[in-house]
Amino acid sequence: MQNDYIYIILADDDEDDRLFFTDAFGELGMNTKVNTFNDGVELMDYLNSKEAILPNVLFLDLNMPKKSGIECLNEIKTNTKMSEIAIAIYSTSASEEDIEETFVLGANIYIKKPSDFKALKKMLSEVVSINWQYHTNGLNKDNFLLRM
Amino acid sequence: MKIKKLFKSSLFLRIILLTSLFIILLIGGFTYKHISNLTNSTKIVIYTYEVNVELENINSYLNEAESVHRKYMLTKDSLYLENYLIAREKINTSFVQLKQLTIENVKQQENLAILKILIDNLFINFAKTDALIKNDEMSTETFKTLLFEEKVVLDTIRRQIDEIINLENKLLNERQKEYRSDLRFTPLIFYFILLLTLVIIVIALNKINVDLIKIKAKNDQLLIFKESTNQAEIIGKHGNWVWHIDSNIFTYSDNLYRLLGEEPESFEANFDNFLKFVHPEDVDRLTIDLDKMIVNEELPFVSYRIVQKNGVIKYLKAYAKAFYSLDGQKRLLGITSDITDEIENFLVLEERNLELERNNKELSAFNYVASHDLQEPLRKIQTFISRLEEKESDKFSEPGRQYLERINSAIERMRLLIDDLLQFSRTTKPDKVFVRADLNELFENAKQDVAVAIFEKKAQITSDLLPEVTVIAFQIQQLFLNLLSNSLKYSQKGMNPIIEMKYSAVKAKDDSNLINAPKNNYHKITFTDNGIGFEQKYANKIFDLFNRLHNKKDYSGTGIGLSICKKIVENHHGFIFAKGEINMGSVFTVYLPFS
Repeated sequence: MQNDYIYIILADDDEDDRLFFTDAFGELGMNTKVNTFNDGVELMDYLNSKEAILPNVLFLDLNMPKKSGIECLNEIKTNTKMSEIAIAIYSTSASEEDIEETFVLGANIYIKKPSDFKALKKMLSEVVSINWQYHTNGLNKDNFLLRM
Repeated sequence: MKIKKLFKSSLFLRIILLTSLFIILLIGGFTYKHISNLTNSTKIVIYTYEVNVELENINSYLNEAESVHRKYMLTKDSLYLENYLIAREKINTSFVQLKQLTIENVKQQENLAILKILIDNLFINFAKTDALIKNDEMSTETFKTLLFEEKVVLDTIRRQIDEIINLENKLLNERQKEYRSDLRFTPLIFYFILLLTLVIIVIALNKINVDLIKIKAKNDQLLIFKESTNQAEIIGKHGNWVWHIDSNIFTYSDNLYRLLGEEPESFEANFDNFLKFVHPEDVDRLTIDLDKMIVNEELPFVSYRIVQKNGVIKYLKAYAKAFYSLDGQKRLLGITSDITDEIENFLVLEERNLELERNNKELSAFNYVASHDLQEPLRKIQTFISRLEEKESDKFSEPGRQYLERINSAIERMRLLIDDLLQFSRTTKPDKVFVRADLNELFENAKQDVAVAIFEKKAQITSDLLPEVTVIAFQIQQLFLNLLSNSLKYSQKGMNPIIEMKYSAVKAKDDSNLINAPKNNYHKITFTDNGIGFEQKYANKIFDLFNRLHNKKDYSGTGIGLSICKKIVENHHGFIFAKGEINMGSVFTVYLPFS
């Protein structure tokens, strides 16, 4: 799994958001490969398939049809094969309940979708360049939510 | 106390009764003695009379004997001699009679003995003269002497008889005198005792009368009490019952029958008849409770259902306690209340609570929609516009770019509204956790949140030391934040905002704002600024939702911030007041109760 690029997956049911996401990475010009899925079921089917390549960072929208982000998070973190994937929650809302729940379930960072494209690019580049090993060790509820 | 009195009164009556009985016995004794005295007195009179008669008889027989003897002396006819003997015989009989009569009197016996000797002498004399007459020696000196002696003896006999009669009369007089004095005093004693008895009886009657009046008054009170108890039972929907455990007899109050849906006294009050009304599902439980009640002598509150004959189900609650009557009979005294209304109210309340919970859930769902679904299209519009500005800005005309700016500020405003609304709905959520929090820390956090505005406006903020208070921490922080941002937002143009936060602990009675406050002690926190202020007549209005005093263009408020402040303070059972003066500034005062 040692690739020369950073492999990124986004699971989001919103077409516009997927577009912003891929556009942002396109413009950032980092050495990344982005793969998107339309909902939780598609994502999990892929991750569970034999040919799946586990991503370096998985961006997970919470509010998705069929299988929600929370459910996906739970499945991934309880699966020893995938539990090491760095998971960034990527959601419109930043309610206390959602933050609390995803933190407890083991997500690594919580991103509130910004309303400005520049801000989005800045945020994504920050997340991708995080040293996950270091970040995860010092993780607490205060730095869990990414503030720009 | 009153019972004691009554007891005393009955004791009093008992004493009077005993006294009366004693007096009657006394009177009986006196009467008996008096009558026997009278009888004795009469007996003595008769006795004296008899003695006198007998003595008279003896006297007359002696006279007869003497006269017959004379006639014999003259005629020498033996027929007279016979009569003489008969007289002699009669004298003897009378004498025996006399002796018998005076047997108890020694003096009279002595007198009679003398009389006897005299009479015997007389008859010896008679015999001597008879012998002389037979021999015709009547003219002799001896005969004359005998006759003379005879006369002397006869005189002596008469004197002796007189003496006996006198003695007897004297005795009679003495005795009669004695009895008469007795008899004179007896009626007086009788009369006195009778009067005494009458007085005692009158006192007793009076006492009985007084007691009767008292008892009647008590009875009246009891009647009133009984009637008021009846009324109270009807109004209060409860009834009482007594269970005489030893005899297994029940008595129900009238209203207990009514609670069971029956007419008073319409069936025999016993346990089995009562159980007929109890809801079949509750019978076993109630029976167990009642058994316990007899052992423990106290029934804790038990609730059960009954089914009235018309099918209506009622909820009853009963309590009972054992008590013992004066003769040691064990009884259970119970109160049974109809709690159907309470239960029904409770059910209604529960239903309302559920409804409220449902409403809250709906509100939460709405929150989610507002926070998530409404924000999402907004965010996209903003993102798309930011992309347009970034990539296509050189293609826009000047008005086009202005339109884009307008769109942006409109969206920004909508975003603010949604955020504030969300904030407001969060303060109305029921799940609040009160924790002990350092208010200084919360104030610092709030200051951090508006750090940019403080920096930009070069605001000066001074603050007192705040205490630790039990609060909903994030709400109090929100309160501080809203008040600070309010002051920063409504600052006067060209003037650095100065915000003073002051703290003091106050007693409710010393503060004119806290006249109707329920607690005694409050934390008073004031925020004073030198901003644009407001007219005092709007002091209450500014806390209303969506109420704005200023133009949107000049000041970017949503009219929600202060409503949130009010809501938060109310959540903490506190008060918030505003005081303003145009172009001078405003003062917000928050009161939080001591925990």
